[in-house]
Amino acid sequence: MSKPTANWEKLGDKFYRKVQLYTAVFDQDLELENYNVVGAPYSGAVAIYRDEDKIYTYRGPQASKSSIDIYSCAGKLIRRINWDKGSIKGLGWSEDEKLLVVTEEGTVRCYYDLQGDFVPFTLGHGADEYGVQSCKFYGSGFVALLGNNNLISVSSYAEPRPKLLAIPPSDPIISWSIIPPAYSLSRSVEVILAIGKTLYVVDATEAEDRSFDAGPFRHISVSPRGEFLAFYTDDGKVWVVSGDWSDKLSEYDSRVKTVPKDMQWCGSNAVALAWEDEVHLVGPRGAVTKFYYDAWIHLLPDVDGLRLLTNDVCEYLQKVPDETVDVFRLGSDSPAANLLEASSLLEQKSPKADDLIQLIRSDLAEAVDTCIKAAAHEFNIHWQKSLLRAASFGKSVLDLYSSDDFVETCDTLRVLNAVRFYEIGLPISYDQYRRLTPEKLVERLTNRNEYLLALRVASYLHLPTSHIHGHWAQQKVRVSTDTEEQICSLIVKKLHGKPGISFEEIARAAYDEGRVRLATELLNYEPRAGKQVPLLLNMKEDNIALDKAIESGDTDLIFHVLLHLRKKLPLASFFRVINTRPVATALVESSALDQNRELLKDLYYQDDRRLDGSNLLLSEALAQPSLSASLDKLKLASKYIADSRDAPSVFQRQALDDAAKLLRLQEQFEKDLGPRDGGITSPSSSFIGLSAHETIFQLLRLGHNKRALKVQSEFKIPDKTYAWLRLRALVNARHWNELEEIGKQKKSPIGWEPFFNEVLAAGNTRVASIFVPKCTQLTPAERVEMWTKCGLLVKAGEEAMKAKDRALLEELRVKAGGSAAVEIERMLGMLPAGRR
Amino acid sequence: MGPPTPFNASDVAEKARRDLLLLLEGIRGKKNLVLEKALAGSLNLLVKFSTLQEYGVDKPFFLENDNVDSSQRNVVFLVRGEKAKTVLAVSNQIKRIRRESQIEHEFSIFWVPRRTLVSDQLLEEAGVLGEASVSEWPMFFVPLADDVLSLELEDAVTDLYLRKDPTSIYLSAKALMLQQQKHGLFPRILGKGDNGKRLADLLIRMRTEVTAGESPSATGPSFLGLTPSSTIDSLIIIDRDVDFPTVLLTQLTYEGLIDEVFNIAANQTEVDSSVVGGTAPQSGQTGSASTSMKRKIMIDPKDYLYSTLGDSNFAIVGNLLNKAARRLQSSTERNQLAAKTTAELREFVAKLPGYQAEQASLKLHTSLAEEIIKYTHTDIFTRSLEVQQNIMSGLDPTTQHENITELINRDVPLPIILRLLCLESTTNAGMRHKDLETFKRAVIQAYGPQHILTLSSLEKMSLLQPRGGSGLGATPAAKPGSVTNYTPLRKSLRLWDDEVNEAEPNDISYTFSGYAPLSVRLIQSIIQKQTLANIIKPPSDPRAAAQANPLAQGLRIFDDASKYVRGATFDETQTGEEKAIKARSMLNGSHNDAAKTIVVFFLGGMTRAEIAALRFIGSKLKEVGGEVRGSRIVICSTNMIRGSGLVGSAIERERFGG
Repeated sequence: MSKPTANWEKLGDKFYRKVQLYTAVFDQDLELENYNVVGAPYSGAVAIYRDEDKIYTYRGPQASKSSIDIYSCAGKLIRRINWDKGSIKGLGWSEDEKLLVVTEEGTVRCYYDLQGDFVPFTLGHGADEYGVQSCKFYGSGFVALLGNNNLISVSSYAEPRPKLLAIPPSDPIISWSIIPPAYSLSRSVEVILAIGKTLYVVDATEAEDRSFDAGPFRHISVSPRGEFLAFYTDDGKVWVVSGDWSDKLSEYDSRVKTVPKDMQWCGSNAVALAWEDEVHLVGPRGAVTKFYYDAWIHLLPDVDGLRLLTNDVCEYLQKVPDETVDVFRLGSDSPAANLLEASSLLEQKSPKADDLIQLIRSDLAEAVDTCIKAAAHEFNIHWQKSLLRAASFGKSVLDLYSSDDFVETCDTLRVLNAVRFYEIGLPISYDQYRRLTPEKLVERLTNRNEYLLALRVASYLHLPTSHIHGHWAQQKVRVSTDTEEQICSLIVKKLHGKPGISFEEIARAAYDEGRVRLATELLNYEPRAGKQVPLLLNMKEDNIALDKAIESGDTDLIFHVLLHLRKKLPLASFFRVINTRPVATALVESSALDQNRELLKDLYYQDDRRLDGSNLLLSEALAQPSLSASLDKLKLASKYIADSRDAPSVFQRQALDDAAKLLRLQEQFEKDLGPRDGGITSPSSSFIGLSAHETIFQLLRLGHNKRALKVQSEFKIPDKTYAWLRLRALVNARHWNELEEIGKQKKSPIGWEPFFNEVLAAGNTRVASIFVPKCTQLTPAERVEMWTKCGLLVKAGEEAMKAKDRALLEELRVKAGGSAAVEIERMLGMLPAGRR
Repeated sequence: MGPPTPFNASDVAEKARRDLLLLLEGIRGKKNLVLEKALAGSLNLLVKFSTLQEYGVDKPFFLENDNVDSSQRNVVFLVRGEKAKTVLAVSNQIKRIRRESQIEHEFSIFWVPRRTLVSDQLLEEAGVLGEASVSEWPMFFVPLADDVLSLELEDAVTDLYLRKDPTSIYLSAKALMLQQQKHGLFPRILGKGDNGKRLADLLIRMRTEVTAGESPSATGPSFLGLTPSSTIDSLIIIDRDVDFPTVLLTQLTYEGLIDEVFNIAANQTEVDSSVVGGTAPQSGQTGSASTSMKRKIMIDPKDYLYSTLGDSNFAIVGNLLNKAARRLQSSTERNQLAAKTTAELREFVAKLPGYQAEQASLKLHTSLAEEIIKYTHTDIFTRSLEVQQNIMSGLDPTTQHENITELINRDVPLPIILRLLCLESTTNAGMRHKDLETFKRAVIQAYGPQHILTLSSLEKMSLLQPRGGSGLGATPAAKPGSVTNYTPLRKSLRLWDDEVNEAEPNDISYTFSGYAPLSVRLIQSIIQKQTLANIIKPPSDPRAAAQANPLAQGLRIFDDASKYVRGATFDETQTGEEKAIKARSMLNGSHNDAAKTIVVFFLGGMTRAEIAALRFIGSKLKEVGGEVRGSRIVICSTNMIRGSGLVGSAIERERFGG
């Protein structure tokens, strides 16, 4: 076994290692130099397409067909996408391994799995007119540069909404790059443009000149977490600036005349410059190391390193993790290095092993930790084993040590080694795995149709398997040549009752494949009624869709189906559908009330709901601007129920006719008397619109008694009510004389107490007092109270006197003052004292 | 540390707040905020305006005013997406701004509480879907107090009972489901009412759907999420149409009366500044109605003084205020005199701000109480209260007709009349046909023909209907379960309490000075069986009172009573896998039954008096450590409601010639 440090290179005081992942990657015939190559983050798939600007060998008519090829890192072709949609100006990956293809006209295709299914959208904002020049991608979105220097940002693929960023100057752009929203200060995407000698930073709101003069900058590269920016100047220098532009951190002069074809960050600590077959790795303070290849080289940056791809090899260049340095560095005397040494001595059955352990005894726990971490970062299975063995040996010596990390690392390494196997070709590093999460790794396996491995990994890591099963089933219904019954029973047998399985998705896949009957069959197994609805609508199973929507209880869904049906069906059949479903009818009614009264009218007519229809006409009558139109509508409303003989209808008709009669009377009054309250012509001063009571009230107030009586008789308003209205009107108009006149009458339909109360409330104690003696049915005490309220204490005293109530009189005496007090005192004297 | 308390108000508020701010943060730069009026109250409860400003909100606008200007590039709509009407309003405004404005705008729509298919469809048809970035603000419950959560669905009553639109049932189920996913299933769901039954069914259905749709990243918490909770005892759902009279009656607690007189919305009430004084400048023409300023007052359940007043019967509020004033006075005075040492002085000074706050609150509530007293002393108030009390105590309702007629003749505001009429109808399973027609005619003649529509709406809501259903009126006995029959209930649940004690309440009847709300009695029959049994049938031997009352066995009272109550009765148990239950109880530790939470959900609104009554029960349960079931009561609802609002949802606002 070669030394673990064999592939290490020193860069300043740090080590970098170049791990050979796979050999014999591509066919030698493939002229990689003529291709654009992009790799998905976290060591994902690699997409290549022929660079149209370059000349290539003619290989017969077959080969000239353009395509985008997706390979695994090990060079296994996953999918070939034939391309005839014009010139590709942007090709990139998202974090979750969606492939994005941007054409010159600004159409974007988002290939969401690796199987060639895509969702298209367009950039707009003039992209078709000016043409897309190039695109820069980040984890969840990208920015496109147009011919007129406009920048369009797309920040999500789930619901792409291309947004125009601030407009930069229109001078030619030499190079550009982006800072992803997650790492920019403003939390939205920022674009760095090299224009002329300076740099511009563009975000949604402004394009700011950073006033540099060292340009033009040939390359711009942003470190994986946006903490550093690297620029390559025209005179061959590499500048590194901190992400907030505050510090210039280092400058390196490459002394090369040719501008490199690519510049990328390798992790966050070094910048790699690539020429055709040469790579310079530039570290802090200008340290540099150079690698030479014998074939064209492509750089595929990743979060913690850089993948290097040639026809022959796929290599991984990364800074050697600190733990690994600790263990393996030549001459390292760290506890971990000693532990590893001790472990190998133990294997050789040498007693020195124990001496070494004793030597590092105090740091043993730390040494074990370091060995475990170093093992996790190790790509070589031999060294993984040695390190884990060392860790295991170390912890067996320790009294107390939590083995969780150890166990977890063993599990993880097993998974990592499995997916790194060349047939799978996911050479993911430990750090990438942590960031990607195990769930996403399983998803990537699923997307590669590696179901068995995905299932194994998932069950090994105790992850849910529903998604894998679902994906499998969808694939099954797409490609299987079995009969539909067989497919269905196979899927149901495998998946039924498993949580998290979406039969809807499987059914949709079947439907999209044209297997309608299979889709229907499968849909029956979907437990979520709501989920079934959209597909059912697609399948034109409208009634079932409506039933399922109602079953789900979600009014939004029901509404959705109803809107759909309303558009599709003639009115009569629409009503027939909703008729038997009360919830649907209620929803149609309530929404039509706001928006579409005509529909409602038809509905009531169809259902023979006479009263509702009549009410609807009444409410229309209310909304009419003119009186005659209102009257017309009222007549209609009444006619609508003319044939009904049931009690509510009869009542309704009566009420409607009364309303019309009242309106006509009011119109007459208006004509005869002019606007009420003489002069002020606000709508509220008109008779029209008042209730019958209000009309009488106003007429009485204005002294039109005859007309008021007419209204009373027309509408059979009870005498009591009329008396009340008269009382209130007179008090309101302050017609005291008239009230006094009434007070002379013998009887009142409502008694005299209301008169007293109302007049008193209006503040006229004099008139109020007239009514006190007329309230004969009240107790003396109450009358005393009334007198008192009028301020007539002497009268109150007389009342009490009449009732011979000494207690009352005494109470009054307390309240009284002046002459009244004397008077009451006198009365008290007249009553026989002490008798109660 | 114990397990998280389920239905914790501050958690709920914090989550909603964070969600919104995160959404706002996602939009760069300053923005104009357009919100639906109905959401303003909730927003105000959750986030201070100054915080919104920190997050870039420049100016707020109301959707209904349609006046958002183009002063900012970013325009954010915050609206409910359930109704086509609001969706169309949003799309029209986007179109208007686009047409009128010089600059290009960025539109964002935050649908509350969820993005709907319909909204997408309508926006797409209007051609604005592509213009706006759409997200959702999943705000369901808004905490009104530590133990009160409301969905604040303004239209719930109209939707449920007038238009029969079950949207609010679905949203309630969603909201409850979210809580279940967090704290575990309600081990038991019981309650009363047809809509309530629908809600319970939806909850059970959603459970299977959630299990089926479990996201692939299902690990610990959500695996546990759908096993019965160990901290919640049960969910009790009361459908409002089970018990309309409680809403129709005038609430007699302090908070209830503030609500009746000034209207409380989202813990805020508007009071004329001439009543409470304060910030509004007093101009020369005070007293003239047009110039008087309204002042917004926060009804703060955390205010110490208010927390003692709010749930008390108004009759004793005067005394309480008096006592508080005296205590405050003595504590400040005595301390001033006695503060001899510097240490004491410092302590006193440290307390001063507290005293000042209390003093301010005392002043506020004294003036509010005075205003309410003025109101309660009006002849109209006493008359209508008299009618209410007579009807509830079981007097023949026809004896009250004269009073009601007189009130109509005196032109008192329509809601008061309708409340009385509906009260008679709902307590007596409808009105006699002849009486009903007389009153209908009277209402139309007194308040205008437009109220033909009002009356028909009330009938649809089954608030005001002829006896024996809306049929031919000849059948005297209604179908069982279609109306609530108060006559047997008055006895079997002791809904009327003649010996009510308002000062030191011994029963929930104090909240209405005699009437014990049926809704709360039903809940009591589930969670406080012993006490209720003893109230209904006082044991002959007081020493045996503790346990033996045979009525308290099982759900006997509840079952007996629910026979006479309208709507379906339901009692569902939600169980889970044995293993999962064990895991949960291991995780949370075994839980004392007594400390468990009981969730009460009023579908279709609840009144403040009912909250007071439930709090009263809760405090009693805490004293004895629960009767079988838990003792912490959390009260949830679709909305807050008062009588005028209930009948108001039926009242037709248009008029002829207006």
